[in-house]
Amino acid sequence: MSSETDHHHQVDPRSPEVRTEALEDLLVEKGLVDRSRVDALIDRFENDLGPMIGARLVAKAWTNPDFRERLLADADAVLISEGVQGAEIEHIEVKANERGVHNVVVCTLCSCYPWALLGLPPNWYKSPEYRARIVREPRKVLEEMGLTLETETELRVWDSSSETRFLVLPEQPEGTDDLDLEDLARLVTRDSMIGVAKAITP
Amino acid sequence: MVVLFTEDESQLSGDLGIHDLGGTQGWGEVPHSPDEPAFHSDWERRVFGLMFQVLRRTATRPGEMRYAIERLDREDYFDHGGYYGRWEAVMEVLLEEYGHLASGELDDLVGATKGTGPAHRASPVGQKDPNQLPADRTTPTPGGRTVRRDLAEPPKFAVGDSVVALGHNETGHTRLPKYVSGVVGTVVKIHPAEVLPDSTAHDLGERPQHVLCVAYRAEDLWGSEAEVDVVINVDLYENYLTAAGEAV
Repeated sequence: MSSETDHHHQVDPRSPEVRTEALEDLLVEKGLVDRSRVDALIDRFENDLGPMIGARLVAKAWTNPDFRERLLADADAVLISEGVQGAEIEHIEVKANERGVHNVVVCTLCSCYPWALLGLPPNWYKSPEYRARIVREPRKVLEEMGLTLETETELRVWDSSSETRFLVLPEQPEGTDDLDLEDLARLVTRDSMIGVAKAITP
Repeated sequence: MVVLFTEDESQLSGDLGIHDLGGTQGWGEVPHSPDEPAFHSDWERRVFGLMFQVLRRTATRPGEMRYAIERLDREDYFDHGGYYGRWEAVMEVLLEEYGHLASGELDDLVGATKGTGPAHRASPVGQKDPNQLPADRTTPTPGGRTVRRDLAEPPKFAVGDSVVALGHNETGHTRLPKYVSGVVGTVVKIHPAEVLPDSTAHDLGERPQHVLCVAYRAEDLWGSEAEVDVVINVDLYENYLTAAGEAV
């Protein structure tokens, strides 16, 4: 056995951490994996992708009614013209929150999420608690997460069971008409584009 | 007659898939944190980065990787480090199934008892009867890698139609969540057509289908316990659906 065995003998050989490290070494040794490409991929997803991509679209929709209309009607075409591309956005539908309507997104069967618009999903989105409960008691779940909806608001849950991915267009906070695109985009959180929060009121 | 699932059948049952969590009960509060980072530790990063090269040599068909995750043992699905723990486990499963790792090779390397890893607890690929699937059909070859297909035939249903999905007794992969099975919903949108993951995950051809967004009223899904003014929208492949009036 190699010295690797000694290195690991204090830790649980069943833990994903131990197995991941050993698996990577083994796959590199077998010539099945190129470590530099692993590094590059992590870097791209961690640093180049994130909610700011979706936030920019939302801010633009707030300030430009024509853009908003096109985004809601045919988001795929808008993403092409905006140069947004990447993983997990084969077909995007944007759902607008408005007075009387609130939208929230889930994937009950796995953890589908529009990576190229929001980056990688947070753990809570992928948790069994969220996946199980948001379709059965969404108002209660949203309240626990700090979002109380006005009465008479219809709540629409979107379960991402095909390759269509959903983005929520939150309502523009009141009193923000004078802000420029960049400042508006800062109000648009990841949570508000999943639908578990509103955009930040400055 | 449309039959709702009884309370018992809507629970986590294992035999229909540990992954099919929608509406299951007994869960606590969502572990929510607004500023959660994409990765919590370095091993999660490594798993994420490794997966893409592993998939290129293993699960290349649409739905194949998801189905492999669904075949994981309960322990590996829920108690092996969460989402990226599932990915680590499924890499072991796929690499052994595709012959890139010998049986128990990683166990040996980490000092575990040989044959005790996730690959040895996972269920094998189920045998799906192709006769239970819709017929295959030829579509134009799309440019690039995509699951979208252009179908010559129009959808069988239109926006506003009442439909019901009655499936869920066949083995293997499906994208029909249990909680909507047997419940009447309304078509609200027709999405682009896609290859059928129930088929591609089992290497039985593309069998592309129209994808329909079906809206379910919470009271139809959950009865008297339902919250008011809630609609659950689920995207379903056309072959899952029957006109509600014709459902028996």
